[in-house]
Amino acid sequence: MAITVRLPPMLRRGADTLTITESVHTIAELVAALDRAQPHLAAQLDDTIFNFAVNDEMLIHGVDHHPVEDGDVVEIVPAISGGN
Amino acid sequence: MGIRERVARLVSELPQEPQYPAQGRTLFVDLATRELQSGYTPRRILETLLSGRGANMFYLYRLLDESLYPLHPDIPLIFGSGVLTGIVPSAARGNCTSWAPESGVILDSNCGDYFPSFLRMNAIDHLVLYGRCPQWSMMIIREGQVEWRDAAPYVGLDNIDMRARVAGDLGGVWTRNMSMVNVTRAGENGVLIAGIMGGPKAIYARGGTGAKMASLRLKAIVTLGHTHEFPTPQPYKPYNRHIAAKLLGTSVVRHALSTMGTPFLYRPSRLLGAMGTKNNQETTWTEALDAEHIDPYRPGMEGCFRCPVNCRPRNDLHTDASDKYGRGDGPEYVTLGKFGPNLGIDRVEAVIRLNNICNDLGLDTASTGSALGWALELYQRGIITKAHTGGLELAWGDPALIEKLLFMTAGREGFGNALADGTRAVEYGHYPREALKYRMAVKGLMQSDPHDARILKAFALGLAVATRGMDHLRNRVTLEINAKINDDPAFKERLYGGAVSAAPNSYVDKERAVRACENIYAVGDSVGMCRFTTQLFNSPSLPGLEEFSNQIANVTGFVLTPEQLDGIGLNVMGVERLINHRLGVRRKDDTLPDRWFDEPNRHGAYAGEHIDRAEFDAMLSRFYRISNLTDEGVPVERWRNELQATLGA
Repeated sequence: MAITVRLPPMLRRGADTLTITESVHTIAELVAALDRAQPHLAAQLDDTIFNFAVNDEMLIHGVDHHPVEDGDVVEIVPAISGGN
Repeated sequence: MGIRERVARLVSELPQEPQYPAQGRTLFVDLATRELQSGYTPRRILETLLSGRGANMFYLYRLLDESLYPLHPDIPLIFGSGVLTGIVPSAARGNCTSWAPESGVILDSNCGDYFPSFLRMNAIDHLVLYGRCPQWSMMIIREGQVEWRDAAPYVGLDNIDMRARVAGDLGGVWTRNMSMVNVTRAGENGVLIAGIMGGPKAIYARGGTGAKMASLRLKAIVTLGHTHEFPTPQPYKPYNRHIAAKLLGTSVVRHALSTMGTPFLYRPSRLLGAMGTKNNQETTWTEALDAEHIDPYRPGMEGCFRCPVNCRPRNDLHTDASDKYGRGDGPEYVTLGKFGPNLGIDRVEAVIRLNNICNDLGLDTASTGSALGWALELYQRGIITKAHTGGLELAWGDPALIEKLLFMTAGREGFGNALADGTRAVEYGHYPREALKYRMAVKGLMQSDPHDARILKAFALGLAVATRGMDHLRNRVTLEINAKINDDPAFKERLYGGAVSAAPNSYVDKERAVRACENIYAVGDSVGMCRFTTQLFNSPSLPGLEEFSNQIANVTGFVLTPEQLDGIGLNVMGVERLINHRLGVRRKDDTLPDRWFDEPNRHGAYAGEHIDRAEFDAMLSRFYRISNLTDEGVPVERWRNELQATLGA
């Protein structure tokens, strides 16, 4: 089991990716695993700015239960949608 | 009744004393005779519409003669600053209002930088301009007094040279004691996609502002004078500190706006499959334009008057110093989208250069990028040919071609003459009628931003009902893109004052979210707050109605509860709809481009999404109902009567 998680600059503590090898099946479980890999990350992710994209497709609702599987690339995307 | 009679009647009704200590006067300027009159926006108007955009609508409502045409000198051009403009952190904004020569509906444009704040420093809240200057003129407001200067030496100057010349000639210092709004060659040439520049990049854009101001032969308005604090019934600085702390403590400001600016938005839009590409034929584009690729070209950030956010990126392409377009301000996300994916361009360096050229030529990147994308698709489809373009091959992804077209547009040269007429290119005989099928416009205005709204139904409704045309800045429910908010129904319900479906692609209750956003954004424009830092646009935790209410009380002494302010937002929309109705706008105009109904999105998790006509129509009806509008989209009779009584019609 290996899920690659890409971190945006503001969440990095060194590397720009983390690899989760624990057995996880959903984004919620992935976040818990991320918190173990990088303490306090779950608290940082509890912020409306952060979305998740799985294999380059962004999720905009129903995130916690969204399935993830071996080989997935999950990206944490700071998402705002204003513009000028 | 002519404009002079209308003005005389209106001025006779206005109080001649300020309604609160910090209120500036409304200055009526007859450009033909240079006669000045003034008064103050009455308290009943302030309590119904506030100032800025809201009171601008009062003045337009009273002075508009819809039997004329937008570029007629008797159609006024109105600048207005908000109640809190220049006083509160991030409230540096003002509006410019008229009848739009491009769209044919209301012209209403919001801009920051320094002019709106410095206008207030000169004790002027609104400028109402009408008549045509006998010759090209520059209006100078120095310590509150009006002077005139022959603008002939400045005619033909674009923004970079204009700013340099004026600074040298008048001896002021930008950002310290001098500000300016000015037109460029494009405006002088009546280009309908040209704006009024309000700074190196800031622009009163959309609808033909530049052409309108230039039609009055007014090249520029310059303010000169020192900044100062304002007399207020209650101290306002302690609460300003609270607002500043709230701004700087907000995640989106800390992590995105203050560090990269709005290009940050590009990546989520393309990952969602909602990035308008090649005039919305496609909905995703290359990662090569992600904001991180702009990092090497961003030497720093700038900001508007007394704004702690500093969200405007500077740029430097590291070219030779003699390269006029090798450095500048921006690009914003809209420019990145409109001159990147929309035109098939995939190099950030090219987008930055085109951005700098637009800022100099005074071309609104939203409308200009859209006009170019439309033309390129028409050429791709064979609807226009080299016979239309003067032999030019309009290929996607050709920055050199686009650069050439920008200069041709500003000069109305060759095919640039067609581009210069924006959405009116068919009406004015440049393109065949079939071209309208591919025009991404609502109410005669091209879409302001690059987001393709086939997925997010609240975005789609907002673009359809926005009073100035297809524009996201009037009511966008931007938080529909934030998964954490969508997945927290109770929080979402509190944000919008009622249940709103969690599914962004659902039509259910989306009218409620659009209504809430339209109200708070109208209030934001009427107090002078930046949209980026107004609650609901980029974050649920930015200053909103409660903070506006508290600071309005400190600054004016008026007690307006958050609920009353929400009603004022509705009033602003109501007056705008009354004006639009006089200009012929009806329910059929609150719609979307055919493409979004007929062609499904083909990319990403939401492939297949489009706008269902029946669902959209039902959502529009619900929007009218909760907005107190008739089936034709105007205020219901009782409310209409109340508004008209207040406006003094």
